[in-house]
Amino acid sequence: MSLATLLAFERPPIDWHAIAPELTLLVVGSLITLADLIWTERIRPLMPTLAGAGLLATLIPILTLAVDGTDRVMFGGAYVIDDLSLVLKALFLIAGYLVVLLSVDYIRNGDYHENEYYSLLLSSLLGMVLLASSRDLITMFMALELLSIPAYMLAGWRKGGATSNEASIKYYLMGVFASAIMLYGMSLLFGMAGSTAFDDIRVALAGPDPSGMAILGVLFVLIGFSFKVSAVPFHTWAPDTYEGAPTPVTAFLAVASKAAGFVALLQLVYVAFPTREDVVEPFFWIMAALTMTVGNLLALRQTNIVRMLAYSGVAQGGFMLAPFAVVGDAPEQSIKAVVTYLIIYVFMNLGAFAVVLAVAARTNSGEISSYSGLFHRSPGLAVAMTVFLAGLAGIPPVSGWFAKFLIWNALLDASSPQGSLLAVVVAVNAVIAFGYYGRIMREMWMSDAPEVTEPHFTVSRALKAAIVLTIIATLAFGIYPQWAARFGDISTSLAL
Amino acid sequence: MSELVRSYLVVALFGVAAVGMVAVMLGLARFLRPTRPTRQKLIAYESGVDPSGSEWVQSQVRYYVFAVLFVVFDVEAVFIFPWAIQLEDYGLFGLVEMGIFIAILALGLGYAWRKGVLRWA
Repeated sequence: MSLATLLAFERPPIDWHAIAPELTLLVVGSLITLADLIWTERIRPLMPTLAGAGLLATLIPILTLAVDGTDRVMFGGAYVIDDLSLVLKALFLIAGYLVVLLSVDYIRNGDYHENEYYSLLLSSLLGMVLLASSRDLITMFMALELLSIPAYMLAGWRKGGATSNEASIKYYLMGVFASAIMLYGMSLLFGMAGSTAFDDIRVALAGPDPSGMAILGVLFVLIGFSFKVSAVPFHTWAPDTYEGAPTPVTAFLAVASKAAGFVALLQLVYVAFPTREDVVEPFFWIMAALTMTVGNLLALRQTNIVRMLAYSGVAQGGFMLAPFAVVGDAPEQSIKAVVTYLIIYVFMNLGAFAVVLAVAARTNSGEISSYSGLFHRSPGLAVAMTVFLAGLAGIPPVSGWFAKFLIWNALLDASSPQGSLLAVVVAVNAVIAFGYYGRIMREMWMSDAPEVTEPHFTVSRALKAAIVLTIIATLAFGIYPQWAARFGDISTSLAL
Repeated sequence: MSELVRSYLVVALFGVAAVGMVAVMLGLARFLRPTRPTRQKLIAYESGVDPSGSEWVQSQVRYYVFAVLFVVFDVEAVFIFPWAIQLEDYGLFGLVEMGIFIAILALGLGYAWRKGVLRWA
């Protein structure tokens, strides 16, 4: 072959419809930045509206793609649009919209850089939307960095506060460390497969592996994403970052960013590593058991609600990791459990953060003691918080129970001793978790209100909207679990 | 031992050779040279100027912004050079593609400009 033919360029066919969501998001993000440059102060009050509208507009091409329904493969298999990726993209965008609702007043009243805040939020979401379709190591890494780098900056958004700076630096250092480990793992996988495409890696992993290089490669890549989902023992950054970051950003990190980590794990485990269950299953078994237990035990001791939600988020991540421990024996139930759990978790956890923001806007406190007698001061918020906490604890009829039920279903369906044992660990942890969720409920309903003469609770419109939306979703998925399960069923197509 | 591990043996040998060479050179110099330390010889070398103040100097934070901006154009150049060589093959498609890329980077520069980052104040 001559050099000329080797270098000959052929314009890759581009399916504009397939990448319309990403393009919309990119254009909206750039336009927001541009608008900021041209009208700076005059456009300021409109920023959250523009960002929110942009996110909702991005849902339109996703809907048309879903109606169309055909699977689209682009860029030599590196980018795949299928039903699962569309569901996840929509989930990220809705979570992003809710985070915008949570941010409006916090960012405005804090005199932060509003314009930049929303453009960074959109770039991070663009990374997530890309991640949901990536079927190639390089695409996946690019998407991961695109979602992480704006998040590092957002964590330090309260520039003047020492804790916010600490949050940002810790998150950044741990994130970079995780990326380095992951890249090393990716280089090993590439060295073995001679390709970065997941399909080629799957084939190469099925072959002989005398040097154990494949095991290292798989483990290192999984460990890299374990940092993202703050699985024990890679969770150490989470509580400090969550407490120090501005609360809406914490909600974003604890929900959207974590969901993105799980989406990446799903794609890796199901598309790239399905032939190496011998490595993947024990790894996730240990991680899931540790993450649940450590997260729950530490959450019991917290006195600050954001810190408690951080540890509770770690523990919830442990529940979501559990089905990965039986991917070999019950692949379909496992992926269904994880995806359904993610969908349910996004709404109930964002809802809990919305209430925390609403309370903190009035009491200026994140201590659990400031929730004493919340029912007497603001019955609506108390009821809303109870719904979200009941969801997180897994009490019917609120949606969380169905998510936990699917986890057990997957673990028991595997009908293996280790699966059943993990199901017991999950059950014990569900009980422990009720300890700290129940404590807040008791504070709200049974304690007397402290003798403070704070003005009556008024909750801003945006926060109210966020709370109402999340409460509707949380209750609907609890009472009609088949709605959430439908999305879970779609995902089983990934399990070959 | 697999082929891959064997080929890394070369890297390991190379590393040993590198460490060994430095050790031999410094070790020989130590035995051969006379040792007569004076106060002047022991002060840190700063291109001929007497060092003053503590070593914990604070450098102007404003340089940081220029460093960041430099990275933007550095990366841009990395992509533009190979693209320029192949431009004839890429045709209009390549031109538009690079136009979008540069436009997004220009947005970054415009942002820095508008926010007064380029003013030395």
